[in-house]
Amino acid sequence: MGEAKSVGGHPSARERENWLTGTLVLFCLASTVVTVVAGLIQVSFGEYSMTLRGAWEAVFNPAVIFNLEAWSSFLFGTEPPDVSTESVVVWSLRLPRVFVGVIAGATLAVSGAIFQAVTRNELASPFVLGVSSGAGFAVLATLVVFSGLSPFLPLIAALGGTLAFLVVYTIAWKGGTSPVRLVLAGVIVNMVFQSLQQGLFFFADDLGVVQSAIAWLTGSLTGTGWAEVRIAILPAIVAIALALAGSRQLNVLMLGESTARSLGMRVERVRFLLSALAILAASVAIAIAGVVSFFGLVVPHIVRNTVGSDYRRLMIGCAFAGPALLVTADVAARLALGGVQMPVGVVTGLIGGPYFLYLMRKQRSMGEL
Amino acid sequence: MARTQRDTDRGRHRITDGDGVAVESALVGDGLELSYPTSEETVVDCARLDVPEGAVTALVGPNGSGKSTLLKGLSNHLEPDAGTITIHGNDLNSFDPKELARELGVLSQENDSLGSITVEDLVYHGRYPHRGFFDGVDVEDHEAVDRAVELAGIEALRETELGQLSGGQKQLAWIAMVLAQETDVLLLDEPTTFLDVHHQFRVLETIRQLNERKGVTVAVVLHDISQAARFADYLVAMRDGELYDWGPPEEVVTEELLADVFGVEARVTREPELQVLPKRALSDR
Repeated sequence: MGEAKSVGGHPSARERENWLTGTLVLFCLASTVVTVVAGLIQVSFGEYSMTLRGAWEAVFNPAVIFNLEAWSSFLFGTEPPDVSTESVVVWSLRLPRVFVGVIAGATLAVSGAIFQAVTRNELASPFVLGVSSGAGFAVLATLVVFSGLSPFLPLIAALGGTLAFLVVYTIAWKGGTSPVRLVLAGVIVNMVFQSLQQGLFFFADDLGVVQSAIAWLTGSLTGTGWAEVRIAILPAIVAIALALAGSRQLNVLMLGESTARSLGMRVERVRFLLSALAILAASVAIAIAGVVSFFGLVVPHIVRNTVGSDYRRLMIGCAFAGPALLVTADVAARLALGGVQMPVGVVTGLIGGPYFLYLMRKQRSMGEL
Repeated sequence: MARTQRDTDRGRHRITDGDGVAVESALVGDGLELSYPTSEETVVDCARLDVPEGAVTALVGPNGSGKSTLLKGLSNHLEPDAGTITIHGNDLNSFDPKELARELGVLSQENDSLGSITVEDLVYHGRYPHRGFFDGVDVEDHEAVDRAVELAGIEALRETELGQLSGGQKQLAWIAMVLAQETDVLLLDEPTTFLDVHHQFRVLETIRQLNERKGVTVAVVLHDISQAARFADYLVAMRDGELYDWGPPEEVVTEELLADVFGVEARVTREPELQVLPKRALSDR
């Protein structure tokens, strides 16, 4: 009897953990499958031609997967072991690009979801608060003026993004901030930094510099390798873990500022810390992939439409859907035009823009602040 | 003006109810001056305000008289330019935000429209001040939510999404969220405005039950003076940002008050119960 009572006594106690819904699990599984398939396609094609079978055998080559020496060469940059040419091509050239896509996709999507909650504006993205233009300007300035600092480019990009964000926050601060003021200040800072970027192009005397700058500003995974994975993996894991831990704060923030305050939240502090977290996530992506347009804006919407707006679900969904979509987009960017590789940012912009327009037409409530 | 002065004097010493028995105050505002950061103008200037312990106090007054502003000041949503607010004798500023949210529950006037969150999820957010950053929900939280949902009478709506509710049901859901905070003092800003009569009564009955069953002190801004007169234990009448009168409804509600504060000619009957019957607007305002 006693046992029956303890089970029956609190039905809602068990239901509470049910935010982990079947839809979410399915969504994450589907995203994982898409990521894996797109990744396999990505490693199977390229200049060094090999059969599908050969490529996949190389991916799942036990001599690499279970080789500590190989992993230490990937993750710490030590001497690589001797393996077949196929394995070298796949594991050193093509797979790291997939991993970079996974990391950039996840961090961008999570960052966008956070910014949309912090500004309480569904049109917000990692870049609305000036992060992208600040990072882009820092990158351009480094390439054009301080070319000696090029090895530290990712770090500089993150610094530029953070600086721009701080400027935005300072402008928006007037005894507290408001979502609308933050967005407006972001637009203004964006415009100033973009003018500065365009001005800098006039000082570039080398066509190679201009091309590499444009690749950064449009977002590209071309030529990324284990070095980028090494830079990004730790901050990405930290940022995503913190974002998952903070999802309940985001839910409360979504109730509105005065309600959050009434519930005992230090709204300004939480908003600042969460923004900083979103900047960290966006900077990780910018540092390894450049400024991938529309991605951080659209992915949270796709996830929200599927799993609902509870941030505990939304965050997990973004961490899975982001990689799936960015790796797929990168397959298109690398292989669609045959010989020529496009920056992945061109693909996300071309697909993301119209998709977002479609969403706006479909959901009447989208434009409301 | 003389009336205000008298109130001030009375408040400075000891408040007494109708029978001359001293009343403890749960929430006291002393020498409050409130203004919004966007303008210089002082919106509320109130020498002394008492919210008596264990009673329902209604703040009434015409539009723009500072009721809501006063409530924002009392709930620490608006930093006063001058004066202090104490809750159970402790200065409001001495509390940590979460500590304060365990003592004082607040329901604001405008609540944002949230589409796809269920009533139950909303009510669980009321447990926020009771949970640490990494804490999950525990048995105490479940019980508090169950009690809040039961008290607000919305058991049937637990799994419903907020977007599908009527205005009145939504308001009850928000009230359940504040109830789940389980505070000793509750401030509500116009909880009945824009609701149909049925839901107005359900909201007021919920507040009354909360007060009677748990002894919770309630201060509520009400739009409707006749509703307030019937419902509240104490009335605070505001005019132009100042306290016009304070006391039990039988003392406060007079034809003179209705003319002075609300600008209406009205008949007040006291038998068999206090009733306000507004007749026409006075022309000089």
